[in-house]
Amino acid sequence: MALTEPLDFARLNAEINEEVRRRRAAGDFPPGLERELDSLFARYAPATTGADFDEVVERAERTSFMHADVPTASNQRVLVYVKRGLRSLMAWYVRFLAQQVTAFAGAITRSVRLLGHRVDRLETVTIVAAERSLSEVKQRRAGADLSQWSAVVTNAMAGVTGRVLHAECGEGELLAHLVADGRDAYGVEPSEPLAMAAARAGLDVRADDLLAHLRAVPDGALAGAVLSGAVDCLPLGSLLELADLVTAKTGPGAVVVVLSVGPGAWARALDPIVSDLAPGRPLHPETWCHLLATRGWDPALVHPTANPTQALAPVPAGTPGAEVINANVERLNRLLYSSPAYAVTARRA
Amino acid sequence: MVAIHQVLPVFAPRDAIGNHTVEIRRALHARGITSEIIAGEINPGAAQGARTVREIGRRRLPGDGPTWLLYHASTGSPVAEWFAERPEGKLIDYHNISPPDVFGAWEPHVGVELEHGRRQLAELADITDWALADSTFNQRELNGLGYRRTAVVPILIDTAAFGHDVDAKTVTRLRRAKQTDGGADWLFVSRILPHKAHHDVIKAFAAYRRAYDPSARLHLIGAVGSARYADALTDFVDDLDLSDSVVLAGSVSAGDLEAYFQVADVYVSLSDHEGFAVPLLEAMAHDLPVVAYSCAAVPETAGTGALLLDDKPPTVVAAAVHRVLTDERLRRALVASGREQLSAFALPRSVARLSAVIDDIIASFDGGASK
Repeated sequence: MALTEPLDFARLNAEINEEVRRRRAAGDFPPGLERELDSLFARYAPATTGADFDEVVERAERTSFMHADVPTASNQRVLVYVKRGLRSLMAWYVRFLAQQVTAFAGAITRSVRLLGHRVDRLETVTIVAAERSLSEVKQRRAGADLSQWSAVVTNAMAGVTGRVLHAECGEGELLAHLVADGRDAYGVEPSEPLAMAAARAGLDVRADDLLAHLRAVPDGALAGAVLSGAVDCLPLGSLLELADLVTAKTGPGAVVVVLSVGPGAWARALDPIVSDLAPGRPLHPETWCHLLATRGWDPALVHPTANPTQALAPVPAGTPGAEVINANVERLNRLLYSSPAYAVTARRA
Repeated sequence: MVAIHQVLPVFAPRDAIGNHTVEIRRALHARGITSEIIAGEINPGAAQGARTVREIGRRRLPGDGPTWLLYHASTGSPVAEWFAERPEGKLIDYHNISPPDVFGAWEPHVGVELEHGRRQLAELADITDWALADSTFNQRELNGLGYRRTAVVPILIDTAAFGHDVDAKTVTRLRRAKQTDGGADWLFVSRILPHKAHHDVIKAFAAYRRAYDPSARLHLIGAVGSARYADALTDFVDDLDLSDSVVLAGSVSAGDLEAYFQVADVYVSLSDHEGFAVPLLEAMAHDLPVVAYSCAAVPETAGTGALLLDDKPPTVVAAAVHRVLTDERLRRALVASGREQLSAFALPRSVARLSAVIDDIIASFDGGASK
């Protein structure tokens, strides 16, 4: 690099990202490192910067008491006496106000506390149950086989420049295809063993919860996203949030691919324990198309072809009733032998 | 004779806005323009010749021709209200007001003050003739608030004056640590405030030590602007077991600061908000390679003189610093670009820019400014 040569910052940044991938693979940057550093610092950040309800309410309770005795310190001695005099004169007035404000703040914080208890009880049977079952699912989760979608995903992402996220990427087979195809791709995987395996393969993978990760990504920072795994077991509210987040975090021209086992295959495509305990079910492909279209995407649906070795053969044309028979054969093939798994690819205007 | 008097909430020594104000006064005097400095508070050690708002009160200011007041906006202050009520023509020099939401949690009263400052800035738009901004980033904010005539004039800093009066003892102490333990010296200079993101520098430094250089040291220089944030940083450093290698040096003398710049190997800034970022230029003046998070006015100030990162995960920052420190050709190229970038902010150029804007202001005088 001669001094007169302008610096190629894009190349430099790409090389730095590559170096991070190498270091991850070597174990110098373990998958959980960033999250660990974040949560360590979060311990010392004010409660109001965090999301812990109890800490925030505690802080509100601590600050709800209004002091009636105003400070009288001053650099000038005479002012100390003036302030003390004023404090004595105004005490009846300030105390009257302080008592009312303290009573009001106390009532408000108590109300919030009671509301919190009610929400706690509700969460026990709804959200917390969902979180607990998700955690069970995470422990059972094995990397899904997404090999049938390699061509669909790499074709959809062809020409995409910028960061591409694959969530949840498992051990990273599909991610490796994207990287080999020249995409600046990284993965998010909630299962630490799977993320470690992907990192050992030299891939840039964060061991993180998908929604938590997406919430932290700056708006418009992604050029593409492949969504798999989580789309088959997140509760409905989280799936809607996922659709919102992926829209907010991608820019114009971005591409998204949703890979799902489909609701029809729910019971037979997944580990029975996972399919029983997962708090949510896969959506129909039409629903993903609808969710994406209403958020400004232009979706297209891709179904894999039926397995030809198992499919029923049509009768030769010219056979009496061939048209009706073959229509029924096609219907039976679709119902019995085609994989209900699907991909929805979509591009933003 | 034209008069342009400068008004600011606090006039402090060794402060970027304070120095800028003094340079503006010098440039105005050189053009024969009457100019005084009027401040809400004058801190001990600030340059002589300033008067307080209290002293002026409602009195008439010197100048027998068109007269303007140039208000330096950087926070909420009662001085802005005094400025708004004065009969003279109004000019604003906007140095950016930090986003209040970052402070809200750490220092609620500062957040309130900043929010107040933003409201005041918006209210002044209608009565201001011209508004100056340190950067196009700041100018965009002014335009968004409805300021009609705006211009960019960089902070007036004497870049040629960087690098004087080094404290030899501090240099010796820092060099001894380097010789004894080896390892690179990271430097970040900024007031300890949450939006300056010292915690992100510490995270990146922890990742760097883990993967590349277990002997490295991090020097964080700057006065404590938020005690809560500073305490959190200290506890964070303790938890990471980095107390021996991360130094929160606080506010240091000019000689000490010079020593830190001379001994450092890399300057790392991961600040979330900068209206200009003078320390980046100081680092460039000391031939230090700069790695910085690209946000707000940072890309504009740093130009190609810094390795700018679009995002700041600790691992990426650590790898970027490692690259800068181990790739000698890259380091030299960054230093050379930094020198070039620095020349764009050389005092004579910025004064010429200010002078041109002053010409425009005077030319646009339509009798509206007070005589």
